[in-house]
Amino acid sequence: MYNARMRTHLGLVILCVLSAARVCSSTSAPESPRKFDCRSREKETFSCWWEPGSDGGLPTEYRLFYTQERLREVRECPDYVSAGANSCFFDKKHTSIWAEYTMTVVATNALGNASEEFRITDVMEYVKPDPPVNVTVVVNSSAPSPFLEIRWKSPPDVDVRTGWVTLKYELRVKQNDSKEWKTVDIGSETFFNFYNVYPGLLYMAQVRCKLDHGKWSEWSNTIFAEIPKNCKPTVVTEISFFYLDHQVEKIPLLMGIYILLLKRNVVKQCLLPPVPGPKIKGLNAHLLKSGRSEDVVNALMGNQNFPPVAAWTEQVEDFLLVSDSDEWLLTDSFASEKNKDIFIIPAGLHLGLEIQCRDLSVDLNTWEKTDDSKEEAKSNFLNMEPINLPVEKHEFLNGEEMSIQPLANTSYVDIQQHPTLTDYSRVKEVNDNTILILNEEEIPHGLDAEEVKSEVSVPDDYSRVKEVNSDVVFLEKGDSADKPIMPLESELSKGFCLKMIASGYVDSGPAFSVK
Amino acid sequence: IRAASSCTNGQTGCHFLSLANLFDRVIQHSARMHGISNDLHSEFELYFLPSKNQIGRVSRNCHTSTILTPNGKENAQRIAREELTEVILKLLVAWREPLWHFHQNMAQHREFNNFSSNKSLEMSEMVHELRRGVQKVVEKMQMLGVINSSLGNLGSPEALLASDRAEWRLMNDYDLLYCFRRDSNKIQNYLKILKCRIVPEHGC
Repeated sequence: MYNARMRTHLGLVILCVLSAARVCSSTSAPESPRKFDCRSREKETFSCWWEPGSDGGLPTEYRLFYTQERLREVRECPDYVSAGANSCFFDKKHTSIWAEYTMTVVATNALGNASEEFRITDVMEYVKPDPPVNVTVVVNSSAPSPFLEIRWKSPPDVDVRTGWVTLKYELRVKQNDSKEWKTVDIGSETFFNFYNVYPGLLYMAQVRCKLDHGKWSEWSNTIFAEIPKNCKPTVVTEISFFYLDHQVEKIPLLMGIYILLLKRNVVKQCLLPPVPGPKIKGLNAHLLKSGRSEDVVNALMGNQNFPPVAAWTEQVEDFLLVSDSDEWLLTDSFASEKNKDIFIIPAGLHLGLEIQCRDLSVDLNTWEKTDDSKEEAKSNFLNMEPINLPVEKHEFLNGEEMSIQPLANTSYVDIQQHPTLTDYSRVKEVNDNTILILNEEEIPHGLDAEEVKSEVSVPDDYSRVKEVNSDVVFLEKGDSADKPIMPLESELSKGFCLKMIASGYVDSGPAFSVK
Repeated sequence: IRAASSCTNGQTGCHFLSLANLFDRVIQHSARMHGISNDLHSEFELYFLPSKNQIGRVSRNCHTSTILTPNGKENAQRIAREELTEVILKLLVAWREPLWHFHQNMAQHREFNNFSSNKSLEMSEMVHELRRGVQKVVEKMQMLGVINSSLGNLGSPEALLASDRAEWRLMNDYDLLYCFRRDSNKIQNYLKILKCRIVPEHGC
């Protein structure tokens, strides 16, 4: 009897113990919260969330305490509600950017508590704005090609007016059936014109934004836009509705092709106009090919009245001389010389020339005699600036007298046949290294060579020296106040002789040196 | 700084336009400086701290912690212009030497590539340039009467920080970069706020 009762008691005790144990294992102190994260939408407030651990089967309360970098006191979370469950919201008063927060979340229930510490070094690291709002897109169909006008607004809470935040945007667009987005960095603008679109396609676009160096927001709502197809094809399709059947459509098409074939040259001209080659005014490409240099030169240099080359070559061998005496008539041998030697005598100096300028003598009397001819010559003067080409009479080797006639608007001198003019004083200017032309306004008469020699200031005559061409001579106009550029040296008594070869090289006679 | 050559609204208008231009320039400068500091900080993290754990990092002590800075929009808008300007200059002065030494260290370490080394040089030079730029802005503001001329001591801000000379040597390189990234962000923000307080009509 005792055995049965004891077994029952033992059973009950075991049962009790077991049941007690079951009740004990279902409740415990809570686990510490895990996973802490925060977010600031506009750099003025922020919220933090934690993930609770196991609550131990009992109602568990969570509290958050924090300290700030410089604050010694411990504060509790000001708002557990606004940001949802298991969260803490810090409003403007409690938010310090660039400051370090140390958060402690404590989980408490009837059986105990558990806490975890989290550190936020800088709220700036958690800045992530809301996406932009009011994203709109308009298809702009203006010429030359359609484009999308995309606009948006900054997220509502972000303050862009005080300079506290700098918002940057990013836009992405893609075709509806394409997989790849085209992304564009926008900067701080709130609109963008997207040109890379084609008619007839459907496009979708999204925008997102970023505050300072924070994280990008989520993409905004997607907006769609379809680019309409071109108008021209629609007109054709409309016309086609007038045809009863599609066969009839082909007739105008065939006719059109036939006409095009007939007029293919015209069409080719229209569609593919020949690209004009470079054109130089007055120059003919064929001219270049033909290779006649004179023509080319003419074409290039315009309609300048250069003397006919032939005429010039005729006179190549002619020489300009100032001479009063027969001995200055040069022999024919000179005429046969091919070089274009031209002798120039400055006005006022009576110089005799020999081809090598060896013997120069001035015959003053000769000059005087030629007064009349001077008048003549004077009348032939051209008072042109800068070209003053006197009409000169020159004696030439073969007795021909050449005169230098200025050409209009050129610096080229045309030598023509002319009645003899022994007075070279009118030689005003040399052009093209061939002719020296001296502008003589006052022809000193009776000027002695000796005078020339002694008076360096005889440059009165050389005051005519106005200009040197090719280092030959300085020619100066009229004004005696002008100093000659070249000094006259005593050798001038012999006058000078300038022999100019067409190439421009000048030999100066012993008479003077050019400085 | 480009002179306001297209001013037609009188001398005062011209002056304020050129002040706005000056501000824009220093703000751009500070934005660039902050960008570089951000890049360098990220590179450091890549090389030295592969396991990034935002929460739970060891606290840092920046040598500029002693400088009181407004830590929010309202605070920055409420404090006096002179004070805000002074804060900016103090920060800029405080970083001149540490960044220079940082660059010297960088140049010697072989694990940094040339890219980072150039950035650190650029960063240290920018701090100096920016300080000169801000001083110009201050002079202009004083000339226009926008701020009191009582900031005479800003001419030699080194005097303000004479006592803090050695503290920065206690920071290691990574902390230095972190602290500078934060301070360059502050400088950029303060300059923008200052501009929008003083010349708001020229784009804010």
